Amino acid sequence: MNRLPAPFGTRIDRTRPLRFSFEGKGFEAYAGDSIASALAASGQWMLSRSFKYHRPRGVFSMNGAEANTLVQLPSEPNVAADRTPVSDGLQVSAQNVNGSLAHDRDAIIDRLGRFLPVGFYYRTFIGPRRDSWLKFWEPMIRRKAGLGVVDTKAAHRHFDKSHLHCDVLVVGAGPAGLNAAIAAAEGGADVVLCDENPEVGGSLTYGRHDPAMLADLTARLEALPNLRIMTGTLCNGWYEDNWLPLIQGDRLYRTRAREVILATGAIGQPAIFRNNDLPGIMLGSAAQRLIRHYGVRPGQKAVVLTGNDEGYAVALDLVEAGVSVMLVVDPRVGGLPGPFEAELHGKGVAIQKAVTIDAAEGRGGHLARVRIGGRWVECDLLTISVGEVPAWQLPCQAGAKVGYDAGIGSMSLMPARGSVQLAGSVAGDNGLEGAVAGARRSASIALQRLGHVVAQDAVLGKAKPSCPAHVQPILANAKGRDFVDFDEDLQVKDLHNAIKDGYREIELVKRFTTVGMGPSQGRHSALATARIVAEATDRTVAEVGITTARPPVGPETLGVLAGHHEPLERRTALHARHLALNAAMKPVGAWWRPYFYGDARGAQKAVRDEIMAVREGVGLLDVSTLGKLELRGPDAGEFLDRLYTMAHANQPVGRVRYCLMLNEMGSVVDDGVAYRMADDRFYVTATTGAVARVYADMLFWNAQWRLKVDVLNLTGAFSGLNVTGPKARSVLEALESNIDFGREAFPYLSGREGVVAGVPVRVMRIGFTGELSFELHCPSSLAPALWDAVMEAGKPHGLTPYGLEASRILRLEKGHILIGQDTDAITTPDELGFGWAVSKRKPFFVGKRSIEMRARLGQSRKLVGLQFPAGAGDIPGESCLALRGNDPVGQITSIGFSPTLGSYIALAYVHVDDATEGSRVTVKCRDGALVEVPVVGHAFFDPTNARQEM
Amino acid sequence: MNGPRNIDEFQSFGPVRETLDPAVTADADWSRHLFRAENRKGVVVEWWRHVPSNYFFLAERDLVSNEIIRTFDASQRSGQS
Amino acid sequence: MPLRLLKYGLSRDYPASEDIPATPELKPSYDVVIIGGGGHGLSCAHHLAKYHGITSVAVLEKGYLAGGNTARNTTTIRSNYITPQGIAFYKEGVALFETLSQELDFNVMFSQRGQLTLAHSEATLRSFHSRAEMGKHLGTRTEVVDQKTVEDLVPSLNMDYGGALEILGGLWHADGGTARHDAVAWGYAAQASRRGVEIHQRTEVQGFEIVGDRVEAVKTNRGRIACGQVLIATGGMNYDVALMAGVELPIRCYPLQAMVTQPLKPWLNTLVSSVSLHTYLVQSSRGEVVIGGGSDPYQLYSTRSTLDMKEHLAEGAVHLFPFLQGVRLLRQWAGITDMTPDYSPIMGASPLDNLWLDCGWGTWGFKATPVAGKRMAETIASGRVPDILKPFALERFETFQLLNEMGATAASH
Repeated sequence: MNRLPAPFGTRIDRTRPLRFSFEGKGFEAYAGDSIASALAASGQWMLSRSFKYHRPRGVFSMNGAEANTLVQLPSEPNVAADRTPVSDGLQVSAQNVNGSLAHDRDAIIDRLGRFLPVGFYYRTFIGPRRDSWLKFWEPMIRRKAGLGVVDTKAAHRHFDKSHLHCDVLVVGAGPAGLNAAIAAAEGGADVVLCDENPEVGGSLTYGRHDPAMLADLTARLEALPNLRIMTGTLCNGWYEDNWLPLIQGDRLYRTRAREVILATGAIGQPAIFRNNDLPGIMLGSAAQRLIRHYGVRPGQKAVVLTGNDEGYAVALDLVEAGVSVMLVVDPRVGGLPGPFEAELHGKGVAIQKAVTIDAAEGRGGHLARVRIGGRWVECDLLTISVGEVPAWQLPCQAGAKVGYDAGIGSMSLMPARGSVQLAGSVAGDNGLEGAVAGARRSASIALQRLGHVVAQDAVLGKAKPSCPAHVQPILANAKGRDFVDFDEDLQVKDLHNAIKDGYREIELVKRFTTVGMGPSQGRHSALATARIVAEATDRTVAEVGITTARPPVGPETLGVLAGHHEPLERRTALHARHLALNAAMKPVGAWWRPYFYGDARGAQKAVRDEIMAVREGVGLLDVSTLGKLELRGPDAGEFLDRLYTMAHANQPVGRVRYCLMLNEMGSVVDDGVAYRMADDRFYVTATTGAVARVYADMLFWNAQWRLKVDVLNLTGAFSGLNVTGPKARSVLEALESNIDFGREAFPYLSGREGVVAGVPVRVMRIGFTGELSFELHCPSSLAPALWDAVMEAGKPHGLTPYGLEASRILRLEKGHILIGQDTDAITTPDELGFGWAVSKRKPFFVGKRSIEMRARLGQSRKLVGLQFPAGAGDIPGESCLALRGNDPVGQITSIGFSPTLGSYIALAYVHVDDATEGSRVTVKCRDGALVEVPVVGHAFFDPTNARQEM
Repeated sequence: MNGPRNIDEFQSFGPVRETLDPAVTADADWSRHLFRAENRKGVVVEWWRHVPSNYFFLAERDLVSNEIIRTFDASQRSGQS
Repeated sequence: MPLRLLKYGLSRDYPASEDIPATPELKPSYDVVIIGGGGHGLSCAHHLAKYHGITSVAVLEKGYLAGGNTARNTTTIRSNYITPQGIAFYKEGVALFETLSQELDFNVMFSQRGQLTLAHSEATLRSFHSRAEMGKHLGTRTEVVDQKTVEDLVPSLNMDYGGALEILGGLWHADGGTARHDAVAWGYAAQASRRGVEIHQRTEVQGFEIVGDRVEAVKTNRGRIACGQVLIATGGMNYDVALMAGVELPIRCYPLQAMVTQPLKPWLNTLVSSVSLHTYLVQSSRGEVVIGGGSDPYQLYSTRSTLDMKEHLAEGAVHLFPFLQGVRLLRQWAGITDMTPDYSPIMGASPLDNLWLDCGWGTWGFKATPVAGKRMAETIASGRVPDILKPFALERFETFQLLNEMGATAASH
């Protein structure tokens, strides 16, 4: 066991032991352990096999930043073992292994590496046959691709979303973030401080610092009621206008901050030398995290590589944790020792200067020794402290530019002006003193921008770096395995070879080699890549740059992004009535509508019976999904005149007119009816699918025309019932009403307001079915009562509720078009034969100029009726092509069997020269058979309209 | 009208277009007008709808930076735009 | 192991094959100047050099090679369009992809595993029948399939039986597939440059010298180039570049966003897209799941990403495949699409005699890379627009000969 006694192990609760398994073997842990720390405590350092070469990999940062620690949970792939807490009974396994983690058969690929150079897959796998890639090579590569496995049977999890607003959002609760949040909150701002770790403090919780400092800051934090602390919360992106997703567990906080302070810290960088990827080689900060957070001794015999004083602190920590520190390797030449180095001198640890480590070797998948100046030193732990880069992702998303500071061999950030400030090491503020100064500076700027009064001396400049920094050389090895990118198994020579192949721009290097495209998204490789490319192409690192930092910052689940999204569903007020009548309900757009009534097995008969009921008796249809718009104001008539093709300003009160809407291109986009209820009041219907757009367009046009009219969308507020059939009048006359439904009193295409069965209604005589029809519209809350009354009154007349399918056939028999089905994006009224619906007298309506022009340019197709002889064999389906010769000139838009006529009928676009009644058109059936069909008029049934006008 | 709101509450209706008198415009000019796209890099004046309140207003927006420079009611619109 | 790899394993030094030569000095003039070093421009350069013997060609790229929409698209290749003109054109495009790796001696990884578009409504199903009938008639593999077949093709799909988004059927396009987008551009670049075409990266066009109805020269940040013929193929910048030549195109720019998950072992074999959810998914040969959808709802020249679009795409992906809840997203990005009023490209002549257009590619540019390059090269070399391109002429907007692709869903680029 590698456990250390308290006070080491601040995150673990030793009173709560847990058990879990890894690769089928049982392990012990404490509550608070991460998977990686618990495994490390038991000496299990290898966590995964690498992407390409299947090399053993283990902990590197202990900060969840790389593919090394990705493991598989039963229903969750690619889980970071160094960030994910252990839970009791958790089953963890390794990913991307062929066999087991310890014995991975694909480890052989590591030996074949020289045959698989960078981009090798572009150069081969092409032949020998045309489809060799698809049939042979790709399946082979796909088997080797990917890391984790998805469980397609995974149980549904609950995710949700919430909103947050604050004056100042501080991201990162390290020393800089803590100080900035406190300063901003003390200055009076409403502050949210978030950090992805389970506690505040950042490096103060694992670095070699006086514990009093964190205790003092925590006490000040807690005294501030206007400061909200969100730990375990990842700020995973910056979007325009300070719109930031904060992810806490399974919840996404969509956060709007007036000011943002990014104190996201810096990312420790690896050193590049042969076999630098062995388990046992980790960042100095990773060793410190293991020791202080988890009470885990990171090794037995350690070598410390350091280019700064921090590494000496690591060495001191290792000594305290009982690790034998064999050697501290410090490549720097000269300079004064820092405080930790001075302290280490008293501990009897050997220090070797002006040399560095150029190779490592492993045994049994773990570090065994390192080479320093030609000498091998045995060790099972190598800690690396050779420099860091600012955590550039969030700043760059917020517009910061990346530069290169040759003095420190690292990137520097130049923030964009505006509401995002940087503080601490991300801003290049050096050490704790620098972090505090940076925090005060950024908080002051934020407070000033918010309009708070800030003392002048608080706005400080940047602290100067204390001493020249060490720039770690990139030690390429002739034999390779000097990894630049652990995720993608890329070595120095891979980048050089890509450049030799002509991929000289950094983005091309990335795309050709895939450097930086793995789970760590360049955290550990971007700087080294830029340096290598700069050197190889004879440019500066600044000229080469780094690739764009795109969101998210860290991996985030699709579940947390999706939340508990459900598709929009709408039900009419009569939904329960339909269900009670055993309706087969179908979704149509957002609405659920009755398709027909009765058992699905008898669908065909049910639809036929419903049609015949309408033709011979009376039917009832729920038309509540229709768009219902009310226009009020003195200009309402004028407004409709401009919007629709027919004349409405002169429409008498009490009359109903068809209305046809075009867009500016002159294409048909909607139709409906307009009922003039008063001089200054129209009730207009729109098609179910188009009403939202029609309503918006009405408001849009009127924002430009500025006519005196208001538009009200009553689609949900009102419901509609269509009573239709030869006996419709009898049914309505049987109801108690102040409306005279008599033939003379209530003629075709007129409307009346009144009360039917105690329900206030507006009634229109229109005829989609071609039969005598009354459409009753009423407030939705009263629709069930009206439905019940109509059903009751209809009983003696055999009133039959009918569904959408019967309605479609009924309208087809009458030759009525459905917008969107019988029209497309370029349909003109002329193509529909709708000249009658277009006013010739109005000087203007939307689309008028365009249809005139299009008429002059000539018409190529026309919508016609096709009637198939009774008993015809080959019947085409919807969308089957109308041909001229072999050229497709049109398509069937609607087709169905008419029980009334005893044959199939269709609407179809045909060539304009074939559109006259009696012409014969060739249609290609779905199975390829060609049939000839005669053209007839649109109205297959009752072309003289005698029935609907009776 | 209601202070800054999330973009998901708004719907774009595209740049303001010049108005032509259809009666005196030749066919070719009319079709050019119909399909003409205001797409220059820089600031455009656009129609936007605040969906919850159904309020249509104008906004000056930079097509490169996506910055909203100002918003105003159609009644404040000057003649030339 | 393929024999080709032996040379790498057995050579002492890396046997480099220079796909993209370093940018040379600009010459004072070229027979053809191609503006835009993306897939289309490079494809045209390759076809000019290989099939028309025209090698005095400069490809000008303002950034890095193929760094615009060639690098940003989600690589769908298909020909299941609506109009006969569109289908005929893209069918030739798919056919060229089928032999592209051999043509370029560069593996573009054309993976013809089919595209399944899902219908959650009868209206969508009806539009599928329309596309299938036209597609079959013109010889593409496009058919409407029922629920059972959808389940067989993608067993892990949430069919949502009885729900508001029940999958009623699908449009199965066996010709559909994907290819490695960068490789297409690199392969063309390598072939073109080996035949003498010059590729100039970091070379930005800043204006044109126009005399009468001709472009005399192109002005760049690296100097002036006299030119015989000029092609504009600059993707999201087409409007802007054409405007410098005084040509106002009916094009609006909208960002198009996409995102990708961490690598997973393969579980999704075909392209899957949903019209109602405005979402499509495809798993790359690296194992990453690429997720995309429709364009942003307002004009913009920025490649910034938005949280709203990411949430929307995640909603769609999780609806179709609920088990993706636990899968992690790695990266999101955007490109700038140049949309025309009829959702179809503009190819062919411009109002200037020697300025040619390969523009208006909206969200469908990648799949046309080989065919657009081939046919534009033919156009430039002969000075005549071939029949297959005629329907895509700029003049169609004056004569109202719009291509009726407007029903094409943004959810299946």
